[in-house]
Amino acid sequence: MKVTIQKWIGVASWKWQVNDDNCGICRMPFDSCCPECKLPGDDCTIVWGECSHCFHVHCILKWLQSQNYQDQTCPMCRQSWKFKTH
Amino acid sequence: MSNTMEKRLQKELMKLVSEPPAGVTFDSESADSKLTLWKVKVVGAKDTLYDGESFILQFKFTPKYPFESPQVIFIGPNIPVHPHIYSNGHICLSILTDDWSPALSVQAVCLSIVSMLSSCKKKVRPPDNVVYVSTCSKNPKKTNWYYHDDSQS
Repeated sequence: MKVTIQKWIGVASWKWQVNDDNCGICRMPFDSCCPECKLPGDDCTIVWGECSHCFHVHCILKWLQSQNYQDQTCPMCRQSWKFKTH
Repeated sequence: MSNTMEKRLQKELMKLVSEPPAGVTFDSESADSKLTLWKVKVVGAKDTLYDGESFILQFKFTPKYPFESPQVIFIGPNIPVHPHIYSNGHICLSILTDDWSPALSVQAVCLSIVSMLSSCKKKVRPPDNVVYVSTCSKNPKKTNWYYHDDSQS
């Protein structure tokens, strides 16, 4: 028997590779976006600190902006916050 | 009101009602409709100086929560007599101002206060109680708190 595929539709799923389910700031799942955004993905991305804790970029930026530049700390471990560059 | 504040407070409220930590009870009816004012009941732990006493903690949230700490005071007729709690209900606790972090929560603050009560060795008011209470702002966050580490003493 010979089968001819006439049409196919590819479906893909994606997930952030994170060691936690929820953002420690807004408490929303990482697979969803921060409460101020509508869609997860590149517009509401996740960022890591050198301390290895991660947050929605919008959440951590709001936290850092609310602190003095010299004492910007990670909300989880209170180490001074530096963005991890890959 | 910001989405972040609203969504986080809704989540915290559900969790505090369904899984309250030991010594803490929260009736969601006590929160106003906008969730900006909560009243949480705290009971002194067994075998501590506050065993059996119950207190009411009032939480006030601004739209900047959780980037800004909540305003937390004891209210009602029973204000714990404690070296870090003023008779007007103001609490000297660093996580309520300088050491606040958005990773903290209503639950974490309640636990911190319960443990602060539990570790108390002598029921006394702060030494500057009379002066502080007569001169401070209604909002304890406007006070310049001077924190000491008394975990060793």
